[in-house]
Amino acid sequence: MTAPAIRITGLKKNFGASEIIRGVDLDIHRGERHAIIGPNGAGKSTLFHLISARLPVTSGVIELKGENVIGLKPFEINRKGLSRSFQITNIFHNLSVFENLRCAVLWSLGYRYSFWHRLAGLADARLRAEAVMEDIGLADRRDTPAGILSYAEQRALEIGITIASGADVILLDEPTAGMSRSETDDAVALIRRVTEGKTLVMVEHDMGVVFGLADRISVLVYGQIIATDAPAAIRCNAAVQEAYLGTSTHSGNQHD
Amino acid sequence: MNSHVSEAVFRRGRLLLWGACLAVAIALPLVFKSGFMLSLLCQMGVMVVFALSYNMLLGQTGLLSFGHAVYFGMGAFISMHALNIIGKDGGPLLVALLPLVGGLAGLLAGVVLGYVTTKKAGTTFAMISLGIGELVAACALMFPGFFGGEGGVSGNRVIGKGNLLGFTWGPQVEMYGLIVAWAFLATVAMFALTQTPLGRMANAVRDNPERAEFVGYDTQRVRYLMLILSGFFAGVAGGLTALNYEIVTAETLNAHTSGVVLLMTFVGGIGFFYGPIIGAILVTVMQIVIGGMTQAWLLYFGLFFLFMVLMAPGGIASVISMQRNLWQAGLFGRMVPHYLAVALPMLVLTAGLVGLIEMSYALLAGEGVGAGDTATQVMGMQMQLNSPAPWAIALATTAVGMALTRWIGGRTRAAWNATLSTLHGDRT
Repeated sequence: MTAPAIRITGLKKNFGASEIIRGVDLDIHRGERHAIIGPNGAGKSTLFHLISARLPVTSGVIELKGENVIGLKPFEINRKGLSRSFQITNIFHNLSVFENLRCAVLWSLGYRYSFWHRLAGLADARLRAEAVMEDIGLADRRDTPAGILSYAEQRALEIGITIASGADVILLDEPTAGMSRSETDDAVALIRRVTEGKTLVMVEHDMGVVFGLADRISVLVYGQIIATDAPAAIRCNAAVQEAYLGTSTHSGNQHD
Repeated sequence: MNSHVSEAVFRRGRLLLWGACLAVAIALPLVFKSGFMLSLLCQMGVMVVFALSYNMLLGQTGLLSFGHAVYFGMGAFISMHALNIIGKDGGPLLVALLPLVGGLAGLLAGVVLGYVTTKKAGTTFAMISLGIGELVAACALMFPGFFGGEGGVSGNRVIGKGNLLGFTWGPQVEMYGLIVAWAFLATVAMFALTQTPLGRMANAVRDNPERAEFVGYDTQRVRYLMLILSGFFAGVAGGLTALNYEIVTAETLNAHTSGVVLLMTFVGGIGFFYGPIIGAILVTVMQIVIGGMTQAWLLYFGLFFLFMVLMAPGGIASVISMQRNLWQAGLFGRMVPHYLAVALPMLVLTAGLVGLIEMSYALLAGEGVGAGDTATQVMGMQMQLNSPAPWAIALATTAVGMALTRWIGGRTRAAWNATLSTLHGDRT
């Protein structure tokens, strides 16, 4: 039996006196698509920041594929095969689409801090960046600076950078936030395609996306997970309905 | 693959450009034979390397350093000591290799000091670099044994009996040849660095350090390595300046030198590889040519810097790049009459301002010109400072120049904006 992709035990996070994450236990199985939902301010993004080491944990253990990753730096966790996207687009604005993706593959191909390789001579980096560029549908924007792409294109690039390194555990933080209906459909298709065979954890407000994409759903309320189950079971879960769906289905759907 | 074909063409064009630049650099002393011009050219070559090394930090990694002269100065001092150590036993070959010693000194200084400064980016880096710069500058006065105190350390670049392919480095023109050779090598190396994984990740760290961490890169390590390499090239420039002047003083590594290299790089344009080259050449010319004509040159330089920051914050290189974009879109011709039209009132304004500044300077400034002088020469004209006439003329010229510049400048700006929107309209 292999260890789960991510195992979280007794995770807590305080900001000063306020507890944001109040004891989370969660197993993410390998290869599953797992969505984390919950009302605003429940701590979903904070949970992501803790898993990816953007924020230090207060207490508890996070294991990535069986290995304790508490105390590691973001780049160290990334090198262990966990990659994440951001709720607020986080790309290299002055670099072209192609360069953005090439930057994202360099470490995983072992080029490290090399100043003795010519980038133009690295066929593997070019091919992989171009393949991802095809995948996310930005091949015709190859040389466009990322900063002047449209919002939906930037979101696609954000996902592209996240998956380019070939990490097998992918964290997506609200990948469809701020998108129109048709853009959301495209994004869902894209996510489904590029996370094939990988472990996906995502925070998402759009219930259509969540129930369409996820194999399992965890509901985070006030820094605690009140239920983890298959979508159908979550829909019928009384505690969930009371704490979350029952009170804010509409506001959840029409989230800013 | 289309992109490959265009890349190959691009590369051939780039090779031609590099070759042309080298040819011009070699041919310049054939045209400008005077000693003055030759020393000007030498200073340019040194500053080009120094400014390019600075832009490895500012433009490429996004690190604003106020203490880059430390690496330049360490390179210069160590080279000078090395020159004196090899003394009579050495020869022109060893002398020619001294900039490498300077580079290694700069690199070593980068390894030691950069470990402290590059822990953080942004304002913290800027402040620590300032502190380290002051620290080293203070040391220069505290340890006269190494830094030579007020007088600095001097040496003689002509050592040994033989020559290297006929060169002894004695005549200034031979020194210029050595500077061109080193400057070219260093420039090629620095450009090549921008085309490597480290060079590209430096850009990534500049644009978005957080994202760089989440694609596997330790941003601190990237900054540290870039600073070390930048220190190396600054040290090479320092070694060249030691050989060029045969004296190194504490001035070489103080805040003023750090400030000058920052201004050069910024004026030239930090967003382009060649920007600092233009900046270094231009500012050196201003420093030496205008500095030779008037004592108020720092004031002019300050005004020029202000003008650039306000009108072209991307530096001269960005202005050139914009004109090239217009040219390629066939819109450049449309702007030429406007450029010419606005140049004239700006000349009038400049003439008026220069008159006012020079006369005030002569009247008020201290020694050298003589405080309270009653007559001075401005642009070849004898001015009587105690009569109102020259003041009235200068004031009137300035006023007319300003009014015309505002009026015509406004129309130029409108034409510029219209052309730009046509350009962007064509694109999308």
